Amino acid sequence: MFYTFSDPFLRIAFWTGVGSLSLTLVFGAYIIGLRLLLARSRRREKQTIEKWRPILNATIAGCSPADLPVLRKREGIVFFNLWVHLHASLRGSATADLNRLGYRLECDALARKLLDGGNRAERLLALLVLGHLQDRQAWSSLMLEARHTDSTTSFYAACALVKIDDVSALEHLTPDFIRREDWPVSQVVTLLQDVRDLCEPHLINAMATISPPQMLRALRIAEGLHIKLPPAMHEEMLGNPSVDLIVAALRVVADAVLLDTIRGLASHEDWRVRVHVAKSLGRIGDNSDIDVLTRLLTDAQWWVRYRAAQSLVGMSSFDKQDIDALLMKSDDPFADEMLTHALAESAVS
Amino acid sequence: MNTVSWIIEFTAWFFLGYFVLLNGSYLLLNLISIRPLLRKGQEDIIDDLPEVYSGLEPPISILIPTFNEEANIAATVQSMLQLSYSELEIIVINDGSDDGTLEVLKHEFALLPFPAAYRKQVETEPVIGMYRSTTYPNLRVIDKKNGGKADSLNAGINASSYPLFCGIDADSILQRDGLKRIIRPFLKDGAVIASGGTVRIANGCEISKGFLIKVGLPETFWALFQVVEYLRAFLFGRMGWSTINGVLTISGAFGIFRKESVILAGGYRTNTIGEDMELVVRLHRTHRARRIPYRIEFTPDPICWTEVPEDRATLRNQRIRWQRGLAESHASNWGLMFSRNGGVPGWLAFPFSLLFEFLGPFIEVCGYVFMITAFILGWIPWQAFVIFLFAAIGLGVLLSASSLLLEELSFHVYPRGKQIASLWIIVVLENFGYRQLTCLWRMVGLILWATEGKAPWGKMRRKGAVQ
Repeated sequence: MFYTFSDPFLRIAFWTGVGSLSLTLVFGAYIIGLRLLLARSRRREKQTIEKWRPILNATIAGCSPADLPVLRKREGIVFFNLWVHLHASLRGSATADLNRLGYRLECDALARKLLDGGNRAERLLALLVLGHLQDRQAWSSLMLEARHTDSTTSFYAACALVKIDDVSALEHLTPDFIRREDWPVSQVVTLLQDVRDLCEPHLINAMATISPPQMLRALRIAEGLHIKLPPAMHEEMLGNPSVDLIVAALRVVADAVLLDTIRGLASHEDWRVRVHVAKSLGRIGDNSDIDVLTRLLTDAQWWVRYRAAQSLVGMSSFDKQDIDALLMKSDDPFADEMLTHALAESAVS
Repeated sequence: MNTVSWIIEFTAWFFLGYFVLLNGSYLLLNLISIRPLLRKGQEDIIDDLPEVYSGLEPPISILIPTFNEEANIAATVQSMLQLSYSELEIIVINDGSDDGTLEVLKHEFALLPFPAAYRKQVETEPVIGMYRSTTYPNLRVIDKKNGGKADSLNAGINASSYPLFCGIDADSILQRDGLKRIIRPFLKDGAVIASGGTVRIANGCEISKGFLIKVGLPETFWALFQVVEYLRAFLFGRMGWSTINGVLTISGAFGIFRKESVILAGGYRTNTIGEDMELVVRLHRTHRARRIPYRIEFTPDPICWTEVPEDRATLRNQRIRWQRGLAESHASNWGLMFSRNGGVPGWLAFPFSLLFEFLGPFIEVCGYVFMITAFILGWIPWQAFVIFLFAAIGLGVLLSASSLLLEELSFHVYPRGKQIASLWIIVVLENFGYRQLTCLWRMVGLILWATEGKAPWGKMRRKGAVQ
């Protein structure tokens, strides 16, 4: 028999096992504790919902009770959750009724307290509440939050500011909407959709002074908000050496004044430009663009052919007879295939 | 001490050290995943609000490869059509089914032949025909010659119209808002090229009309062990890696990819059984080699529910297949290991995977075999043997327990206390036989890869839990 083990092996293995077992038991106890806490919090949540849901339902039906119970501090979070969800699902007078209820219950003060001293989840909730309440008193705190490095809290602080005072908010925050890459463009556009008209001059002014990388983001926002750029500014972008900038500018083209410049880009060496030329001509072009689009139909790149075919099929001045004639005349099988594809797509949709 | 004694002692130390390192590393990954998990949980209030779309969300092509799924395909497609997202198209790729899959699709969705200008960006088996639904304009079907799942996905990529695609298994159930959650990394960071969602076990759950109604636990031990295993290996481990851009696997059941990045890497490889893992590793390798900034993320909250094997034979075949796929993936992407611009994937994630996932089963099995043999032959005293088992199994239990704790801290997918109590028992039991058995099967997979090469898929006995 070989007794080959020095004590260190036995000691290390033993204490590894003991440590693992101890930590496992600690984790087990922690899980039990979490479950008990969860059960307690669910009970409290249920009680809070049972107490406040009828009042909220009556409020949105326009029958807010004259006498209201006191909103206890420990009910605040659950109440706010309910209240915010209702707000997000409703429009019009119902939301005004919810706000009146919120002020009667002093939700503004509670939300401001949460914003100043709560944990991250509570602060997020407070941001939503203060925005819906349009609480002016929270303006300076919200401006501070909007400059925070945390992308979620800063963005929702910006949302709250826009809800409270869209004019001032846009004045201060439009550069941030462009500058902050951590705020998803789609969310920025969703936020600004309701204040699109107010946003337009601020965005265009900002675009006059920003750098090219930021310009791409600004153009995406303009695209989402369907903002028409001044022709001179737009023309300059279309003549820029950066392909990314030309493409972004083409995506927002809506003005027939730019047609000549766009047509000039139909032979651009970068296929992404040609794709968007085809799309733009389909959007704002006229009869004189049929030849350009027909040429693009024979492009080497699939996407260029596809967009050209879609644009041709979508043109009101280019009917089925014209398409059939084009198919007869064509000796490019790829062009024929694409035109047939676009026709079939158009028929299905 | 003579040479033999020295060898025995060294070997014992090696195996103990390996077990400590293996479990310690996964514990560290769990620890790393805590902060992002908690932060994610703090944003639940935002996530639960009704979604408002701006129209700038990137549209998604959902690719559903299918082979001989006539019983399930209609329900699968119906559930995909009900997914909540601003713009998506669904492309079913019928991979040469010899049952009535295509006929079912034609009948259920009023398909008509469509003269598509099919664009071959990745080579595939020939496409026989393309169809479009007249009742659901965003639904298309590709009928092609059989070429396997990877080949089907490549055909779907060729036919897709959108910049992102999401490969989904035909037998998987997606949460209705799954797409809006899995797309988030792409919205926040333009460099993201792939994002994986969580796969959880549908066995024991109540499912109706293609959607999950009520979460439950499976009844068989085989499936119960897998619940804990999925938490340990596939959820929190990947979360940890995601924080440092070291995710090497996105589950084939639910992952979303940037199409141009996948085409740049050459599409799915058709000569491997683990095409999902192999693609992700190749994406790392390709982008690192070309110095293209990118991120591959794992998003814990969009959940895909899938049926897991409930019998020993099917589970065994699955694990053997997975290990072969892992081995193939590593072998074909060896260039990533310690590559010049390898970063975290090349210098940390890949070596880790090689040491603990690829070689791990072999070393673990050898460790147990050695210690048992050494004890039987009297090379080591019984105290050393018992203490070794105490340490090895103790570490395994600790790791599984930490995963259950993280589940409690974050998702509460299993709402009833009784379910957590059951899982706690499984956390312990799993380490008395199940883990060792799966190690053995994985070792078999490794040996088969080394000796036989390409692996067949095999058949899984489905109970139809997800339909």
